[in-house]
Amino acid sequence: MNASTTASLNSDPQQEANVLARRQAMRSYIHQYGIIVAFFLLCLTLSFASEYFLTTKNIVNVLRQTAINGILAIGMTLVILARGIDLSVGSVLALSGIVAASFATGETPSPAWVACAAGLGVGLACGLVNGVVISKLGVPPFVATLGMLSVARGMTYIYSEGMPIPDLSKGFLWIGQGRVAGVPVPVLFFAAAFILFWVVLNRTTFGRYIYAVGGNERSARTAGINTRKVLVSVYALAGLLAGLGGLILTARTTAGLPQAGQSYELDAIAAVVIGGTSLSGGVGTIRGTLFGALIIGVINNGLDLLGVSSFYQQVVKGAIIVCAVLLDPARRSRD
Amino acid sequence: MKLIKNTLAALLAGATLLGGASNSMAADKPVRIAAPVYGLRSEFMKVWTDWLMEHPAVKSGEAKVTIFDGRYDPNVQNDQFDTIIVQQFDAIVFVPLDIEAGGRTLEKAIAAGIPVVGANARANSKMLTSYIGSNDDVGGSIEAQYVVDKLGGKGNVVILEGPIGQSGQVERLKGINKVLEKNPEIKVLDKKTANWSRAEALALMENWLTAHPGKIQGVIAENDEMAIGAIQAIKAAGLNVKDFAIVGVDGVKDAIKAAKDGEMVSILQDGKAQAQGALDIALRAVKGEGYQPQSEIWKHYGEKLPWADGTAKNYDVPWTIIDEKSADDVMKMISK
Repeated sequence: MNASTTASLNSDPQQEANVLARRQAMRSYIHQYGIIVAFFLLCLTLSFASEYFLTTKNIVNVLRQTAINGILAIGMTLVILARGIDLSVGSVLALSGIVAASFATGETPSPAWVACAAGLGVGLACGLVNGVVISKLGVPPFVATLGMLSVARGMTYIYSEGMPIPDLSKGFLWIGQGRVAGVPVPVLFFAAAFILFWVVLNRTTFGRYIYAVGGNERSARTAGINTRKVLVSVYALAGLLAGLGGLILTARTTAGLPQAGQSYELDAIAAVVIGGTSLSGGVGTIRGTLFGALIIGVINNGLDLLGVSSFYQQVVKGAIIVCAVLLDPARRSRD
Repeated sequence: MKLIKNTLAALLAGATLLGGASNSMAADKPVRIAAPVYGLRSEFMKVWTDWLMEHPAVKSGEAKVTIFDGRYDPNVQNDQFDTIIVQQFDAIVFVPLDIEAGGRTLEKAIAAGIPVVGANARANSKMLTSYIGSNDDVGGSIEAQYVVDKLGGKGNVVILEGPIGQSGQVERLKGINKVLEKNPEIKVLDKKTANWSRAEALALMENWLTAHPGKIQGVIAENDEMAIGAIQAIKAAGLNVKDFAIVGVDGVKDAIKAAKDGEMVSILQDGKAQAQGALDIALRAVKGEGYQPQSEIWKHYGEKLPWADGTAKNYDVPWTIIDEKSADDVMKMISK
């Protein structure tokens, strides 16, 4: 005989409520920390499999390699929390990168901040267009951003005439290759974006509005929230973050590459989903996304270290995405 | 009203004139060439088609070339062939994406009486009028041989591969393996695809440098983009690029620059020779005996790439090694 049946037999309502509350707490605890436990288990396994996994150098590598997908995934989290999707981030990343590169190259390149502003501006503009088309014109997010995926990629090729843009200024390359106190700059951007958007989602009214709009747009509107404004902001931010990703990728590869970022949207969505954010909106955390992105980064890195073929890499990644959703207890109780 | 009438009259007069002119010059009508290529999204193919349009016959108006972007989809290329056949082009310069699908596709055009000159990448068909390209097998061997020589026949290397199954990857690896088999003291620590991508190669090389600390001495990349990614990874790890033997293929601008700085060696796949050579061969097929090739590439290679009256089944464009010494010459050669 276990505790709960004893409780109901004894029909002590106080005790019963306690047990239920404890179980509820347990469930939410597992939900919140399951992904973190999974991450550390994965790291533990890999540290036994490869002696190099837990070296400072390798950890820096993993963070640097995760930075771009992590930054895209943070934007994607905002969008998915608001019950949307953004398929255009990979293309927007490429367009921003190419535009920034065009400013940072040539005999007399513009100062790095101008190139960055141009790249970020392009990302922001693409995101704004997504947001307006979705919230004002009522086009479903999947369709609107699918359109942008194609338009932004096309514009990337038009703008660059299909050619890479090399010879970037030293100042601009610093964004991808510099270090501050030993920490690579891309990792700093990733950390800053994480902290900033953790605060936005957890400590600001705007953050609460995003959850409200994603949970139930109609009641959010009834409650007096300007849902359109929230939606436009969310897509604009996703575009801005894609722009930041474009700057970093361009500086890291030392050239604006028109074919960069293809299918990056899928890795970003995967990170968000592994991180426990519900695709039906309103439920999820930015911390989950951080660990989702790290899990993908660690898998890619670990399988490279172990010399596993990239074919298996794809299988493993796919299986983990599906398992993450299956194992999410909050999801099961909701359904 | 009067103005419109006048304009119409002028237009009509012009049209009649033009009509008359084109009749009397029927023999000099431009030869219409269709150029379906696998995709314009790569730097190499973009430059390749630019060279095609720079051919003297195109500039003089003797030939009119229309380029079809296959968008990396054999099915798209197949559809484009239908369009080309309907439009009754005089000849086709064909760069297929897929060896097998490309073969079936081009046979439709041959059946419709349009000569097809294969270029850059092979299509598996005996019906191909002629083929001009650089032998990737040989290219792979030259690459591997460079690394073997630089390491003195002994050392550890990694191989960055193209998308598995694409002809460039398959053939270049074949050539690389031929050389490595003869040099058993060269050990391949790891090999993996980075899908021709600089960004992917960068991350992969970073991980390899961690997995094999201090052991990697050579990097054989199946294209230049990936070799450049490896160089970035080595720099990011704070190591000296010149301590490594790094080699790529294609001769893209960044690689020529890196070669000039002594950071790597590249092998030029001469897209200009492939593209302009293919057009000369196609024009010979249309105009018949006595056609003299117009591109300067035939003079440039001379004996190494004989014209053979434009009727040979196979033209092998030689590879050119790009190192510190030859970088400037190659840069000049590929700049317009």
